Amino acid sequence: MKALFPLIAVISIFACRRDAIEVRQVPKENAPADISSGAVENPPPAKSLSWTTPAGWKEEPGDGMRVATFTPPQDAGKSQATVVALPGDAGGELANVNRWRGQIGLTPIDEGTLASARKTVKSRAGAVLIYDFIGSGTKKPRLVAGMIKVDATTWYFKLMGDEGAVGKNKPAFLKLLEGLKNNAS
Amino acid sequence: MPPNARWNRVVGALSSLKLTLVCLALLMALTVICTLAQVPLGTHVAVDRTIRTFLVWWQPEASSLKIPVFPGGGLVGFVLFVNLALAQFLRLDWSRRKAGLWIMHLGLALLFLGEFATAFFQVESHMPVEIGQTRDFTEDYRRLELAVVDATDAARDTVTSIPDSIVKAGGEIAHASLPFKLRVKRYYDNAELHMRRPTDPPSEATGGVGANLLVHPEPPVSGDDQQNAAAALVSAVAADGRNLGTLWLSNALGAPQGFLLDGRDYKLSLRPRRYYLPFSLTLKEFHHDRYAGTDIPKNFSSLVRLKDPMRGEDRDVLIYMNNPLRYAGKAFYQASFGKNDTLSVFQVVRNPGWLIPYLSCALVALGMMLHFGLKLGSAMGGSK
Repeated sequence: MKALFPLIAVISIFACRRDAIEVRQVPKENAPADISSGAVENPPPAKSLSWTTPAGWKEEPGDGMRVATFTPPQDAGKSQATVVALPGDAGGELANVNRWRGQIGLTPIDEGTLASARKTVKSRAGAVLIYDFIGSGTKKPRLVAGMIKVDATTWYFKLMGDEGAVGKNKPAFLKLLEGLKNNAS
Repeated sequence: MPPNARWNRVVGALSSLKLTLVCLALLMALTVICTLAQVPLGTHVAVDRTIRTFLVWWQPEASSLKIPVFPGGGLVGFVLFVNLALAQFLRLDWSRRKAGLWIMHLGLALLFLGEFATAFFQVESHMPVEIGQTRDFTEDYRRLELAVVDATDAARDTVTSIPDSIVKAGGEIAHASLPFKLRVKRYYDNAELHMRRPTDPPSEATGGVGANLLVHPEPPVSGDDQQNAAAALVSAVAADGRNLGTLWLSNALGAPQGFLLDGRDYKLSLRPRRYYLPFSLTLKEFHHDRYAGTDIPKNFSSLVRLKDPMRGEDRDVLIYMNNPLRYAGKAFYQASFGKNDTLSVFQVVRNPGWLIPYLSCALVALGMMLHFGLKLGSAMGGSK
């Protein structure tokens, strides 16, 4: 039995070890985005969304809550597409739609109008809710947005810019949404 | 009863075959309990609460009281280890005929020691790496850290890593590497982050992306495909008492948030705990092979460049299913992938006792062969 005491002592020491603050010098990260962040693909093998970037579109990694930024080729520079992922419902569908409407100078809508404005496209990750709004003003901004909840994360795809540019790039944007795929399924 | 007789009875009970059978039955029951518990709790929590514990606790709903309801794997394993050791030394005689049994018992004892080593020393983490990217750290998704990064220097960052256990404890955090103190005002193991609406009350955060969010605590989750979005409301206070900013930090937020102090750029984030390596891996290629004409995966493989200046290593390694890279005490397994097959994820396991189960199984097999070989020889007319 005596032989067991050192073993128990060693186990006890390690079982009781405390976490401590550590300081370390590390090379600067040159990662395009913190791919380990919860908003992107966290944790492996968590379910995550993938897509096929339309031909001619330039995809760049985002930062913060933004996962990616796309520059569409038609009327270059006059529209931009973004992908944002947020945990949970992120305020819900109506709040987000009204936030988008506010970005192009439109007044908020109610649930009834929301239902009539909503369209859906089918993707391999599930149904994507689509909205298309044209703003007020001389430049007529336009916003096409897609929203899909995958597991505990809601993904927001938004194409925004001049009305003409968004109109030209909308078909490719919708194709991107139709091609969404849940990596884990 | 004389003390010696009482001691002998205790030792006799501890070394009895009945106790062995009871322990084995309890282990079988624990295996079933653990398997069933994995459905609501997820693999890791179920194993921690049933196998890697000395007692299985039950907590009635809406109560802080914990009641032990079953012996845990640690206790049963320990008793079985003692039982086998005592039985070996007290009941088995040192003869050639019993050599096989001795080896078998040694193998079984090693098996239990191996599990204890795994429970106490194994560290599991992940390394997500994109094609062309180099990584020299792994991340533990079940433990978090509050990272304070001094990003002033153009080439190197100074990272002060504060484990989540310290952040959860709340209060004031001070460290020699930091010219300010951190005050943890709130910590949620899991939370829902909503975009703020105009009707929401003012945010407690004074800066950063968190100022635009509404943070609502949620019950923690532990399922295998679930992830807690922890959130911490942290204030940074300068030595002169000036509030440098109050930030909502969360592992669900991608970018760090921060402030400038005396010309230095500080970034704060709540992120998976990082374990830095003395070597680096660069993902050169990732292959996701499918069976022809289908989407059914056939094989996943990652070609990585391993560089370790300290050991003079600079070579390519192919990691694929069931063929991990074992290097510097760690095993890198192909675990997952993403981003249209441009991201590969390795599960990284450091387990100093990984060889013990193999050794113990070999010893048990050897012992059985020896024991039954001797029996067979004896039955076929050898000396009795």
